[in-house]
Amino acid sequence: MEAVAGIAGKLAALRRRRVSVLVVLGLLLVAAVVIAVALGAVYVPITTSARIILSRVPLLGRLVDATWSPVQETIIISVRLPRVLLALLVGMGLALAGAIFQGIFRNPMADPGIIGSSQGAALGATFALFFGISFGWGGLTAVQLFAFVGAFLAVLLVYFIARAGGRVSVAYLLLVGFALSSFLSSIVSLLAVMSEDRLHNIFFWLMGGLGTGSWDAVLAVLPFIVVGAAVSAFYARDLNLLMLGEERAAQLGLETRRFLWIMFVVAAVVVGAAVSVSGIIGFVGLMTPHIVRLLTGPDHRYLIPGSLIGGGLFLVLADTLARTVIAPNELPVGIVTAFFGAPFFIYLLKRRRHAIA
Amino acid sequence: MPSPEWPRVEGKRWSTLEAREVHAAYYRDDVVAGMNIEVSAGDFIAIVGPNGSGKTSFLKTLSRALRPREGVVLLEGEDVYGLPARRVARNMALVPQDSSLSFGFTALEVVLMGRNPHLGRLQGAGPEDLELARQAMERANVWHLADRQVNELSGGERQRVIIAQALAQDTGLLLLDEPTQHLDINHQLSLLEMLSSMCSRGVAVIMVMHDLNLASQYCDRIIVMLKGREYARGEPAQVLTAGVLREVFGVGSIVTRHAVTGRPHVVFLPTSDAGAATGPRVHLICGGASGASFMRELLERGCYLTAGVLNLGDGDEEVGRSLEIRMATESPFSHISDAAHRDNLELVRQADAVVLSDVHVGPGNLVNLEAAATALEWGKRVYLFSPRPVEERDHTGGAARELYKRLLDMGAVECREKEELIELVSGEGEP
Repeated sequence: MEAVAGIAGKLAALRRRRVSVLVVLGLLLVAAVVIAVALGAVYVPITTSARIILSRVPLLGRLVDATWSPVQETIIISVRLPRVLLALLVGMGLALAGAIFQGIFRNPMADPGIIGSSQGAALGATFALFFGISFGWGGLTAVQLFAFVGAFLAVLLVYFIARAGGRVSVAYLLLVGFALSSFLSSIVSLLAVMSEDRLHNIFFWLMGGLGTGSWDAVLAVLPFIVVGAAVSAFYARDLNLLMLGEERAAQLGLETRRFLWIMFVVAAVVVGAAVSVSGIIGFVGLMTPHIVRLLTGPDHRYLIPGSLIGGGLFLVLADTLARTVIAPNELPVGIVTAFFGAPFFIYLLKRRRHAIA
Repeated sequence: MPSPEWPRVEGKRWSTLEAREVHAAYYRDDVVAGMNIEVSAGDFIAIVGPNGSGKTSFLKTLSRALRPREGVVLLEGEDVYGLPARRVARNMALVPQDSSLSFGFTALEVVLMGRNPHLGRLQGAGPEDLELARQAMERANVWHLADRQVNELSGGERQRVIIAQALAQDTGLLLLDEPTQHLDINHQLSLLEMLSSMCSRGVAVIMVMHDLNLASQYCDRIIVMLKGREYARGEPAQVLTAGVLREVFGVGSIVTRHAVTGRPHVVFLPTSDAGAATGPRVHLICGGASGASFMRELLERGCYLTAGVLNLGDGDEEVGRSLEIRMATESPFSHISDAAHRDNLELVRQADAVVLSDVHVGPGNLVNLEAAATALEWGKRVYLFSPRPVEERDHTGGAARELYKRLLDMGAVECREKEELIELVSGEGEP
């Protein structure tokens, strides 16, 4: 048993290292949220921002004296915080879905758009914009609702097409997803071309952005992300098994078909929720899990929480840049995510090449 | 939440597996067409057969990966396809032919995944799991690789990591699909030794194999598959015969007994279009030093040459060996056994023509003349080289002479000149 004590120690050391990566990422995220809230057209000092946020936290709120102006409080609580939190949730959702898809497809190029969800959302949103549908429900606008439903339906459609014949193969899913995405994308383009006066709106939505950030939107998206995160964390070890291939995973006790179905629904819900409020923001879902994997290794028990934190951190920082760098105008956040994310990713790749491919 | 079987009590293993009339298909055509198997504790069974004969598919139907279209697979009496995956995985492990390990887990982490079916969902690997993983890794010779990332390992090392993962499942049934294919000979042997020792401790092993000699040496039973069906089954000696191998694999072979283990040992013969030989296939019956000069001349003329039966260490046998001629052989200074005679006939069967040299004939090699007679019965041309009368080299008291006469009566061609004979023989097969 001496040798076992040795390896138990090694495994524990590995676990400690991975947990500490998560803790550091988490602290960075908290700092990023506070800084993001402080920055904007009117600068609110970081300590003040932090205390304003703290004052709204149950229990801890009583420890803070209100020494700030009501205007500052309004800016922080009503304008900036919901937007920053929405960026946080959308980033989390996209990165979580990216991690799930890369896991079940065992394909490093898999991202939330891979199985039709992005194009499904785009079609839903375009549809609502094209026909000028305008009703809201549960804090979401018609465009957001349609985007959500579009993303969800597209993913289900891919799944059921790929399931024909009783067996679901991952390679088949990928191809069907690609084909359906192209098809949906052609309809989006068609609607856009036909909608002369609303072309701008459609184009703007497709570019993606978090300008719609409101507490309603935050509260509407929050439950989906929380449930998605909890379910994925619960199944993290099964995602590890699936990396050995579907057949091997089944031989190690995984009910592969049921598991794929659950992960599909989870990913579809999470992507749908994220995309509905933000439009299509590229790069976060693709790259965040890769970057986190370089830090924590491939074990989904760390990769899933790491991707959640990392995705949130990434999009909060990117959105802050997008709205401050050419203030009072805004950049589409997708430009920022790709402009800063891609070189950073390449830098990490060059340093830790072996950990990726 | 610990599973009910944990900690497992020795002897409560499930190790019986039964397939009844199993048919399975990926699309329309059956790749497994009516297979049966019965496995119980301690069995070591090899499944052999040519590519595409359904071996792997059959293994898949047994391991709950390919649902049979007809028939049933029973694990300890229960339908495998009605049992939960975890329950099956606690009792039956499979080592697949190829597995992708293209990620940065360490070998130890991969092997620990083998404990998954025994762990509750939120339960981590405990000391018992680590101990089982360590034992499995030692048995598969990968313990020294525990900290290495699996994507950095060689093909053979990865194969052994997957074997260790299956061993860590700690099951009573172990199925392996060509487990030796990426391994060097040393690791092939130590793997088979290890499996064999697990069998003696009550684990049942079913293994798809391509190497018939390894299967022959280690397994108790061999099942030969052809076109999705069972072609033969039984102990290695019953199953591995030249006849079966020709029918199943379409190649000629000589089956001898392994000098050490006494199990069948197969040597394959090149197929007729193999090698540089362009001339006819000629089988040479000789001995002493009577055939050596024929061997060189016939080879030079492009004949594909075989010889036999020759005693090991005989002058012709040594020449034949140095010329890398396929030969049916017998132990030194021994009478030709039935087995060697059968091998000889197998070579005769594949030849276009048979040449009998001016060999001295005694009771020990008289049967070689019978081989020539059989060749005539099969309609082969037989050439007899006799520069001097057969009586001068008959040491059987007349039996050889009688047989020789019979050969002539049956249509054998007698030549006194070596050059003439070689001309005739090397012209065989031409129109």
